[in-house]
Amino acid sequence: MAMIRNQRRHRLVAYSLILPFVAIFALVFAYPITEVIRLSFTNATLIGGGDWIGLENYRHLLADRLFYTSLKNNGYFVLLTVIPTTAIALGIALMVQRLSGRVQALALALFFLPYILPVSVVTQIWAWMLDFQFGILQPVLELIAGKPVPVFKNPHWVMPMIALVTVWWTNGFNVLLLLAGLRNIPQDLYEASALDGATRWQQFTRITWPLLWPVVTLVLTLQLILQLKLFDQVYLLSEGGPFNSSSVLLLMVYREAFQQNNGGYAAAISLVVFLLIVAVSVFQYQVLRIRGRR
Amino acid sequence: MKLFTSLVTAALLSGAMPVMAETQNITWWDFFAGGDGVRMKALIQQFNEENPDIKVNATTLEWGTPFYTKVRTSAAVGQGPDVMTYHLSRLPMGLKEGILTPITDADLAAADLKQDDFYAPALAAAKGPDGTLYAVPFDIHSTLLFYNKKLLEGTPYLDADGNLTGVDSLEGFEGALAAAKEKGSTAPISYATGDDGGVYRVFYTLLAQQGGELISADGQVLPGDSADKAVRAVEIMTKWYENGWQPEQALYEASVALFTSGKSAFFFNGAWEVPTMVDLEAKKELGFEWGVAEIPPLMGKQTNWADSHGWAIPIQGKSEMSPEKRAAVMKLIGWMEKHSLAWAAAGHIPAYKPVASSDEFKAMKPNSNYAGLADHATYDPRSPVAGVASPVYDAAVNVLAPAIHGYMPADEAIAQFRAEIEGAMK
Repeated sequence: MAMIRNQRRHRLVAYSLILPFVAIFALVFAYPITEVIRLSFTNATLIGGGDWIGLENYRHLLADRLFYTSLKNNGYFVLLTVIPTTAIALGIALMVQRLSGRVQALALALFFLPYILPVSVVTQIWAWMLDFQFGILQPVLELIAGKPVPVFKNPHWVMPMIALVTVWWTNGFNVLLLLAGLRNIPQDLYEASALDGATRWQQFTRITWPLLWPVVTLVLTLQLILQLKLFDQVYLLSEGGPFNSSSVLLLMVYREAFQQNNGGYAAAISLVVFLLIVAVSVFQYQVLRIRGRR
Repeated sequence: MKLFTSLVTAALLSGAMPVMAETQNITWWDFFAGGDGVRMKALIQQFNEENPDIKVNATTLEWGTPFYTKVRTSAAVGQGPDVMTYHLSRLPMGLKEGILTPITDADLAAADLKQDDFYAPALAAAKGPDGTLYAVPFDIHSTLLFYNKKLLEGTPYLDADGNLTGVDSLEGFEGALAAAKEKGSTAPISYATGDDGGVYRVFYTLLAQQGGELISADGQVLPGDSADKAVRAVEIMTKWYENGWQPEQALYEASVALFTSGKSAFFFNGAWEVPTMVDLEAKKELGFEWGVAEIPPLMGKQTNWADSHGWAIPIQGKSEMSPEKRAAVMKLIGWMEKHSLAWAAAGHIPAYKPVASSDEFKAMKPNSNYAGLADHATYDPRSPVAGVASPVYDAAVNVLAPAIHGYMPADEAIAQFRAEIEGAMK
């Protein structure tokens, strides 16, 4: 009897401990999600219920040219950022690891600094540096293109430049993750292989790379999710233009919801974005895991 | 128990009986954050001092989409303002959202105003398709042609009085641009070529001067030969770029700086920049004599883009505004109209004719130079996708701005511009 009471008390304690989490999760995640799903089948405005219109929003979406343009731009941006930023972060982490003590801390701080800046500050800095009339980087662009380039107004330059800004901004966090991964690799392995006469390159391909792979997988997946959610930089730097060459899915959501008051349609787009991110990231994580097991 | 009942009754009675002398608190929202905001706050303060029975609590919010999003969501749940400034070009969107209340004849009477007191284009812009009034126009602001007399001196385009002459055709105007370029003007015609508003307003003016229509009353985008006229407008703007007459990708501030620093002979911008020139001249920082006029009929017809600020009373969620409060709001609006001379100092033309035709306003320089446009200005199309911070503005910066910089031929750009607007209308 005492044991049963004890068990019941245990259960009560357990429930009371997870209750705050469950309550908050239900309030700020589960409930909004069900609402978004419901909204996406209605013609609701931003405020108010709206009428059930079935799959009309999705039909409209599949016929919307801007949807495909935006989807393509999201894909292009992922190509421009995910692997490059991981590669750059790995290079920086390998270099920082060779430093020691205060110098290492300083180098790490320098690379991490952009990450703590809010996005509006980051985009302001780069908008000034790349300003067409007064930008300090325009002479550099002149070397490449032969004349000053209004980068955020040029359909060919806009996406690569937003990618560059994004990589500069978010790279520090990836460096940190990869550096932690590098530190987890036992030093003995390097010493033993050095005794056996392994070259630096052999050490990297046979020890560092395989043992770091789980962390690389994690970085790649986090990056993929983050970069698919692209919105702020585009909104602040190019507003989707010129000729929609930097229009992305979340910008569409913003415009439909807050400018055009089409809450239902915006919900449908955001649900598609959500499912897309889930599908792509699960797929990528599985592929990378299988590769890593080989 | 008896005591309790009497207490409750007393409390109820005192709460239910409106005391006539009670102060009406009016919540006011506007979007004037610059020099015009200073003028508006001074007007509100003066009103509060003169009317102790009404207290206006004013809040200034961010111009554009943020303002209109906040108005729409808050009014729908009854947390909005009692009176707000509203662009008349945004009226169709406000009607689609259902957040505006009609301004009845009784309301106008409470404000001591009549419909005939207002300029016809502004009054028409304040009405819904069925002729119901939904806002009270306050001003008329339009794109104007600013000019630098120093750069035009000695050319045939400035007469002895310092007024423009011979620029009332495209050939004449382009001749003046070439002449100014000769005299060392680096960008003879400045406007915000990289911004939505700058590009759209010049484009729309050139289109309207040809008699073209952007969106017809039945919702057709660029109906009939309007598409060809739109192509023509883009071609002209592209030519100005190719000839080095207009700045490349100038954002708003840069376009103003080009003119105030004496690099541009001409400048297309709104009446709201008039105070900038007046102030700089007063401080002797301008370095040249300037003038301002209506945009001449470059394409035949004398007209230019215009919009109005007006007053609107939003819905209060599911409840209704009390008649006393509504009367107080209308009194405030009427007072503002009668004191709109102070607002005209921000460059605008009062929409209220008794003030606009007063001797004080006629003596007001430079406003009276361009006051005539009030009768023949062209407002934005009456469509929920047009007006400030609308999909039409987005399409202008997205498609027209790069097109006039040579990234796309004019006819393709107009086709895409039209497709963008049609897409937003669906």
